[in-house]
Amino acid sequence: MDEWIRQAESWVGQAEGWIRQQPPEQIYVAAAVVAITILLLITVSCLKSSKPNTIVLSGLSGGGKTTLFYQLRDGSAHQGTVTSMEENNDTFVLHSEQEKKGKVKPVHIVDVPGHARLKPKLDEVLPKAAGVVFVVDAQDFLSSMQAAAEYLYDILTKATVVKKKVPVLIFCNKTDKVTAHSKEFIKKQLEKEINKLRESRTAISSADISDEVQLGVPGESFNFSQCLNRVTVAEGAGSTGNVSAVEEFIREHVKA
Amino acid sequence: MLEELLIFTRGGLILWALSGGGAQASPVDALIRSGLLEERPADGAGFSLDGKRALNWAFDNGLGLVFVAVYRRVLRLLYVDDLLAAVRAEFARVYNPKRTSYDGFGDVFRQLHLEAQARADEMNKFKQAPIKPRPPSPVPVPLSHNDVPKVPGDDGGNDGESQQGGSDGESGKEENSGDPEPKDGGAFNLGILHRLRIKVIPTKDINNVNGNKNNNKGRKKNKEKEGTHRKLDFSDPVDGGKVTDHVVVKKGVQGQSQVDTDENVGDGPKAEGWFSSVFQSIAGGNTVIGKSDLQPTLKALKDRLMTKKVAEEIAEKLCESVAASLEGKKLGSFTSISSTVQAAMEEAILRILTPGRSIDILRDVYAAKERERPYVIVFVGVNGVGKSTNLAKVAYWLLQHDLSVTLAACDTFRSGAVEQLRTHARRLQIPIFEKGYERDPAVVAKQAIQEATRTKSDVVLVDTAGRMQDNEPLMRALSKLINVNSPDLVVFVGEALVGNDAVDQLTQFNQKLADLSAVPAARLIDGILLSKFDTVDDKVGAALSMVYVSGAPIMFVGCGQSYTDLKKLNVKSIVNTLLK
Repeated sequence: MDEWIRQAESWVGQAEGWIRQQPPEQIYVAAAVVAITILLLITVSCLKSSKPNTIVLSGLSGGGKTTLFYQLRDGSAHQGTVTSMEENNDTFVLHSEQEKKGKVKPVHIVDVPGHARLKPKLDEVLPKAAGVVFVVDAQDFLSSMQAAAEYLYDILTKATVVKKKVPVLIFCNKTDKVTAHSKEFIKKQLEKEINKLRESRTAISSADISDEVQLGVPGESFNFSQCLNRVTVAEGAGSTGNVSAVEEFIREHVKA
Repeated sequence: MLEELLIFTRGGLILWALSGGGAQASPVDALIRSGLLEERPADGAGFSLDGKRALNWAFDNGLGLVFVAVYRRVLRLLYVDDLLAAVRAEFARVYNPKRTSYDGFGDVFRQLHLEAQARADEMNKFKQAPIKPRPPSPVPVPLSHNDVPKVPGDDGGNDGESQQGGSDGESGKEENSGDPEPKDGGAFNLGILHRLRIKVIPTKDINNVNGNKNNNKGRKKNKEKEGTHRKLDFSDPVDGGKVTDHVVVKKGVQGQSQVDTDENVGDGPKAEGWFSSVFQSIAGGNTVIGKSDLQPTLKALKDRLMTKKVAEEIAEKLCESVAASLEGKKLGSFTSISSTVQAAMEEAILRILTPGRSIDILRDVYAAKERERPYVIVFVGVNGVGKSTNLAKVAYWLLQHDLSVTLAACDTFRSGAVEQLRTHARRLQIPIFEKGYERDPAVVAKQAIQEATRTKSDVVLVDTAGRMQDNEPLMRALSKLINVNSPDLVVFVGEALVGNDAVDQLTQFNQKLADLSAVPAARLIDGILLSKFDTVDDKVGAALSMVYVSGAPIMFVGCGQSYTDLKKLNVKSIVNTLLK
């Protein structure tokens, strides 16, 4: 140990001597260059991180998120999809905007699997989200109403979502089918279910670390307008290409 | 022949379909939800939920693709595994992450299909020739004469019986044993049936042990046949562990999602390996992970898991499935194998422990309230795990949410059980329904529920007697209680101190509940309550074993003996504790 200390000291002495030998201007220039580079890096990183441009597609399994993802990217759902086991993550220019002249900013869209066991993946992605699209199956709504409301409740009560006021679009998918419900009906049902959830959802004890934020106004029944972040409802159909509502949402919240 | 062969990415996009865009994705969807997401060992086979179709699947971990073949189960196509492997190899050459349509692959596939069929036919012919002269020689004469012509029927009969009687024979090798009638010409079927029978024998012994009715004659015949045809047995040795088979089998048939806990691969950087691992991590841009690379890390992780009291077979299976999922994957730059394996294991355990469905009891109680029925919860478990204590804790919690609770004392066996519950009821000031001792618990429960409906109680908590999982009459009684009363929730109380026995307890409970129920749609364990959690400091492996084996989520954790010591499971902290 002592030997190393002595060696280190001798090196330091040598380095000092060497530095003293250099002409002073060179040292000043070198120091300035280093300082400027550091400043540049800091400013660039600051600018980059302030504007997240990720849109998250979430929703229950079978809602049509992956179809929607490919519609936005390629304009067609190709040969169909199966239940996703992993997320689809890509940065691209929206297919409908590809013909636009001029510089169009690509958007980063993440399609998170809806299966209940893969919920943790959603938690990873939400902090970076600039907007959340919650895809609801309008055709098969009634059987999955409770689960959909629970999922939506989880999203709306995440601390990151509330603090950054992340806007949420509830997209009623599959409206091209005859038996699909209207978006007003879906909105009302979701509000009712979330209201019920509000009452029953309290952690048994502090061991359950949850980001829970109290939704809505106590004493009044829940309404989406009570959320601090903007929640809007739209409808469309992923498989036919009727996704203009989503595209508008994206363009609104990811500055082109 | 093949109904469908799908090639899709792990993200869900179908890249190529044999039926050319036919919307036959529903058995595949069900497969993904129940099977693949549980990280079953790669490349396997099983049945669809309705039992009519068989599915074979293969993974390509390097490219993140899944290959699934669907065909009608009665056809018993044997070349499918071979075909899938060939398709995987070919497709890997054509695959480009940017491309989304692979129309040219259709011709390639047809070629591969023909080749695979030809190979399978050749193998059959090769096996058929030696089989025919064999039966008369080593086997005693009278039996052999009966054996030869009856083989197809008997085998079919025995196989059929064992199929139905046993637990859902779903493991891949057994898939062909279910059909008694030979399809085409006799020669072809004889060959297949012999081969299949031989494969089925080892697992059939398990079925026999579990008390399926096989006529003794059949059993003797099989044993002798096995001796003569051992040389011709080309099947893979069935891996040991009868319980293993049952676990695999159960998953498929019930359609339950089993949380396959991926075993954590332990990262164990040893001193001498440090330099090479550092070097590899710096230069490791493009190395493909091979099986031998994974072995040391996997072994270390498995040992670590076992020190945290995860049951040995669960640890083993987890390690295997993580290895299967990582084999062939490209190592990311600046990451070492141990960290990749650790990450994979962490993700796998997280996936297993995350509940597959909602465990919000309060909401279900409110839903039942709207329907003007009490919500019935039954607590089951072996002796001394803490059913009555935790039942009281749950009652306390429900009371705090302004729900009216009734207790039902259906432990009519153990002396003092009714008094114990009476004391709890008095302290919590809630009504208790009891009929004393030596009564039929099922009847007591029924009357309790009727009383609760009459008094408009919101929840009924039913306490049952502790029973060992291999005690047949008691398990029968429990099954009767559950089937007669159709509770809303069946909670298995398991203590966190249990080690390897958790696996046996849960499998046996589920199996007995399934076997001994009079109705076809048997109720199984819906949730787990992990008791005595405060007694284990960091040896929390029992949680993992239980969830893995039964697929039921952990709804509550009991961590003390007073009324307030009831918690929800914090999945992240368990994962961290297990992997520390």
